[in-house]
Amino acid sequence: MERQIMNNKKRLFSVEPTELSPSEVFTRKYTSHLVPALKKLNMDKSPSPINQLTVKHEVDKALALSAQEFAWSGFLLQKLSSSNNPTTTTSSSSNGTRILEGSCKEDEDGEIEEKLSELRKLLPGGEEMNVEEMLSEIGNYIKCLELQTIALKSIVQDTT
Amino acid sequence: MMMMMMNGGEATEAELFLNCDDMSVLERQRVQLNYHQYHHPGFEPTLPCFFPNSSKMNVGEVDSFLPSAGLDLPEIYGELHGDARISVSPGNITTESGNSKKRKFGCVDTETKVFNEKKKMMMMDREVVVEEEEEEEEEEKSKVTEQCTRSIMKMKNKAKKEQNSCSNDSSKVTKDSQRTDYIHVRARRGQATDSHSIAERARREKISERMKFLQDLVPGCEKITGKAGMLDEIINYVQSLQRQVEFLSMKLATVSPRLDFNVDEIFSKEVVSAPMMNLPNTVMPPHMMVNSGYPHDMVNSGYVHFNPMQQVVTSSDPLSCFNNGQSATMWDSDVQNLYKTPYPDDMEMVFIYSVFIKGHHTYFEIDESCGGVNGTELYPDVKYMTVSEFLDTLL
Repeated sequence: MERQIMNNKKRLFSVEPTELSPSEVFTRKYTSHLVPALKKLNMDKSPSPINQLTVKHEVDKALALSAQEFAWSGFLLQKLSSSNNPTTTTSSSSNGTRILEGSCKEDEDGEIEEKLSELRKLLPGGEEMNVEEMLSEIGNYIKCLELQTIALKSIVQDTT
Repeated sequence: MMMMMMNGGEATEAELFLNCDDMSVLERQRVQLNYHQYHHPGFEPTLPCFFPNSSKMNVGEVDSFLPSAGLDLPEIYGELHGDARISVSPGNITTESGNSKKRKFGCVDTETKVFNEKKKMMMMDREVVVEEEEEEEEEEKSKVTEQCTRSIMKMKNKAKKEQNSCSNDSSKVTKDSQRTDYIHVRARRGQATDSHSIAERARREKISERMKFLQDLVPGCEKITGKAGMLDEIINYVQSLQRQVEFLSMKLATVSPRLDFNVDEIFSKEVVSAPMMNLPNTVMPPHMMVNSGYPHDMVNSGYVHFNPMQQVVTSSDPLSCFNNGQSATMWDSDVQNLYKTPYPDDMEMVFIYSVFIKGHHTYFEIDESCGGVNGTELYPDVKYMTVSEFLDTLL
């Protein structure tokens, strides 16, 4: 009976149930990683309030696990597993300021190089890639981040 | 010569060379035809005029290839746009998509060597567009294979270019026909032809191609033309996305004690917004999805919260019984029956039925046996009028 209802539900909501575009695949993977992880977190730590950093850790982990076809996810996983204190992938406010070149002369190539290096810092594993690779990885990374924000939004919405 | 050795569907480096041979011969033929068209209109290009007899065999090979590719020679020649050629180039010889992508890129690279500047820019744009479109039609995962192939291609191109450079002919008109087994590369006007600058040029073109792709990906970048500006935008966008993720996870941390997570519900929201992604015009559909994701979320949450019965009767979605198994006991049997039926067309009637006839939404128990509750008994203070009394007043 539950399955029947589930099937009805699926029929209710999904317009194209059989088609699996990559964004859908990613989103499904992501939520299927994140939600159980959050549940587990909840159940383990119900006495104490949930640490924000660990949630972030889980979020990043879910992101990395659902996007394993891309190079940056491997680097992200490495970063996550290597550090005890989960590192935040966001650059926070420190990157808000641009590091200006010492000279006032506008060297365009230099500017571009700076920006590229900044971009590298944003992307997990960006430092180890060359420019072309990094640019395509950034494209994937942006897409996955967008999907991640949508998924997180709906999870948050769901629980409020 | 080289061409005759290779055959069939192997995606090897040799195949790449083979294909490049195809193209370069085609280029030659096209150049010849153009030359003829301009100088001797109506003159049928007979290649032996410009190439030695040995290349006749090459031509023969080309002819035998091209019908398999489904392409008419004159069609290529006449066309400046060369769309036909784009359709030919990928994957006629092999069927694997990864290989076809390799070939596509191979063609791009050879073309960059051979065309004059104007044609080349058109071709590049067109091909980039075609590539992007084709990319979007295929799965994102194939992007990986593409990237792999791109990096492989890069290495192979370098190797190939080194080979080419040994035998490059930088003259404008390919009049010397002695070295037919070398790949003739036509240099652009005023550009160096040594292997390094060719490689450099190809690299730069790849980078600009990626930048264009990113431009479509990042919203609000259509007007920005400079590389630096684009990079700025990209950096800002990535930072803002990361900050959003951080903020949302913070919110999640505060909210998550309420554990009625329901994976399928979330899926349904995502899945319903999926059709947005298949719009034919956009190059980057997910970008559309983000921007339209909000209204869709609204719409979808409307759907999701839509079965009012369950909202009232149980505190959690019935699907969570899939997760916890607890809420099944809380169900009203009538509600369960409702779920077994197909989705109702007239929701209002369902509400009315549920509320007034079945009495579901009350905070007190309604005893079914005594035929329901008399409203007058519930609220004795209000003055009531029976229907017949009311109708009597109208007489």
